[in-house]
Amino acid sequence: MELGPIWRAMMRNKTGAILIALQIAVTMAIMVNAISIMQERSRMMARPSGVDEANIFYISSVGFAEDFNERVAIEEDLNMLRSLPGVVDAIQTNSVPLSDGGWSMGLQTEPGAEIQGTGVAIYFVDEHGMETFGLELLAGEDFSPGDVGWRERSDTEWPDKGIITRAMAEALYPDDPDSALGSTVYINDDEPLTITGIMKQMQAPWNGWSGVERVMLVPQHTLFGATRYVVRAEPGRRDELMPQVEQILADSNKGRIVRNMRTMEETRERSYRSDGSMIKMLTFVIALLTLVTALGIVGLASFSVSRRTKQIGTRRALGASRSAILRYFMTENLLISIVGVLAGGALAVGLNMWMVDAFDLTRLGWYLVPVAMVLLLLVGQIAVLGPARRAASVPPAVATRTV
Amino acid sequence: MLSMQDISMVYRTDLVETHALRDFSLDVAEGDFVSVTGPSGSGKTTFLNIAGLLEQFTKGRYELDGRDVSSLSDAQRSKVRNEKIGFIFQGFNLIPDLSLYDNVDVPLRYRGFSAAERKRRIEHVLDLVGLGSRMKHLPSQLSGGQQQRVAIARALSGEPRFLLADEPTGNLDSQMALSVMELIKQINDQGTTIIMVTHDPALAGMASRNIHIRDGQVSDVEHDTQLVAAIAG
Repeated sequence: MELGPIWRAMMRNKTGAILIALQIAVTMAIMVNAISIMQERSRMMARPSGVDEANIFYISSVGFAEDFNERVAIEEDLNMLRSLPGVVDAIQTNSVPLSDGGWSMGLQTEPGAEIQGTGVAIYFVDEHGMETFGLELLAGEDFSPGDVGWRERSDTEWPDKGIITRAMAEALYPDDPDSALGSTVYINDDEPLTITGIMKQMQAPWNGWSGVERVMLVPQHTLFGATRYVVRAEPGRRDELMPQVEQILADSNKGRIVRNMRTMEETRERSYRSDGSMIKMLTFVIALLTLVTALGIVGLASFSVSRRTKQIGTRRALGASRSAILRYFMTENLLISIVGVLAGGALAVGLNMWMVDAFDLTRLGWYLVPVAMVLLLLVGQIAVLGPARRAASVPPAVATRTV
Repeated sequence: MLSMQDISMVYRTDLVETHALRDFSLDVAEGDFVSVTGPSGSGKTTFLNIAGLLEQFTKGRYELDGRDVSSLSDAQRSKVRNEKIGFIFQGFNLIPDLSLYDNVDVPLRYRGFSAAERKRRIEHVLDLVGLGSRMKHLPSQLSGGQQQRVAIARALSGEPRFLLADEPTGNLDSQMALSVMELIKQINDQGTTIIMVTHDPALAGMASRNIHIRDGQVSDVEHDTQLVAAIAG
């Protein structure tokens, strides 16, 4: 290998090499951090909501007639929905996971206005809540019909029991989450509430919230004027049921309008649409930067080959085979790229440290820098292959030409 | 040492066929110092390129050091050039970004010598041409004559059997030309076969044989080099 002479020759004529190494370094820093952000978003998007997303849809109902009796309508609607063939179960609730609109409160293990509560998302359900959402109860018991009350918009009192997620139990009792079952917690500073059940998982309506896994079901129907029915269909029957449900609800009571029917899958897609767009945009930026870097390498190498045609001919005359010339240019590019990726590695880590501080992003995965290094070295070698092959095809007779 | 029989070289384009060499035959014995003269476009450089395996010829037979080199692959030709032939070019053809040491090192690396062996040879040949103390210098820091001496050192470093010189003094003033020619003569005196292409009859006169090429053929089989020198003088 001619590492020494190649390096020394490059150092005597280094402007182009430094510019390409810098370009590789910047590309690598951006690439690594963009991939890290994409990974973070992808992980977030891949989190399960905890509910049976494939088979659930929901629809809103808003009463407008003067004689519209919301409580009667809810009771009739639920009876009708639960009796429909193909429906597993149905409930009236205030929100669904990932819908971006809901209710949150603070729960505390000790009463008192001065105590900081732990934020929790609230879903108002009845004894059909667990079955409708497809939730898994880890410990304790589900609500019974006798637990379920009615809540007006102006009510401030809370029921005396609730079912929380395991994540909420861990947040309330970090040292002993199992002790959450049966414990009394306080809502609204000092209203006692007994935890009667622990469920495996359910997400809050807000996907970007750090406490997205902290959820509590409370046994209440709401009388807020506008309501939402969640329907869980038997597997494969959701799409067939949706228009039926919409029609039946619309026909059963002319004093209200039904609207905003949506599947949970659609809700997930809408919830993470901006994240999906960001991933696409970052992928495009990475591809573009890589392409620009590769073109830069092609440009520098092509210029270098044109400038050194006579020199290549001389090397050939002195005994260099075609493969030796090819190797020369590939090695030269490898040296430039190694400098670039080493600088890029340092730059990537520095940029990530700053972004962790400034934007609360996650730290880089340990493998990202080495993987990006290998990838960019490979891109460099592929990019230089064309010019290097042109160099290798320079005939040795060029050495004796006077121009 | 070198035997060419009926060598022809035709350059073809879509419109034109140019016969650079026609049925060119020449034998050079080991230890010969042959000068090649002729007008511009007569085929001197084509002959040199073919003799140095820098170009393939169209027709004929060429034996170098007893071996038929007509049908060698590109890699085999590179190996023969590297091991048996030394080149001295009119424009020196030193690599400007490499020191004198690294310039002389170029053919030795292709030969696959160890680092210690390369160092020994480089120091020896640079001492031989009087530039042993300037090994770390760049070509641009030397005069034309010194650069040609480095090129000669590079050509000699592989201890070739056969040295091809293309107008070796063409870019030098008369003083420097004379000193380079004296060096080339010394090399020949030590047994290396030399073929030198030149325009200059005085330099041609320093060789033991002269070949005159016209229209791609040997027009005068052998000049008496002393007569050539006398005419030039």
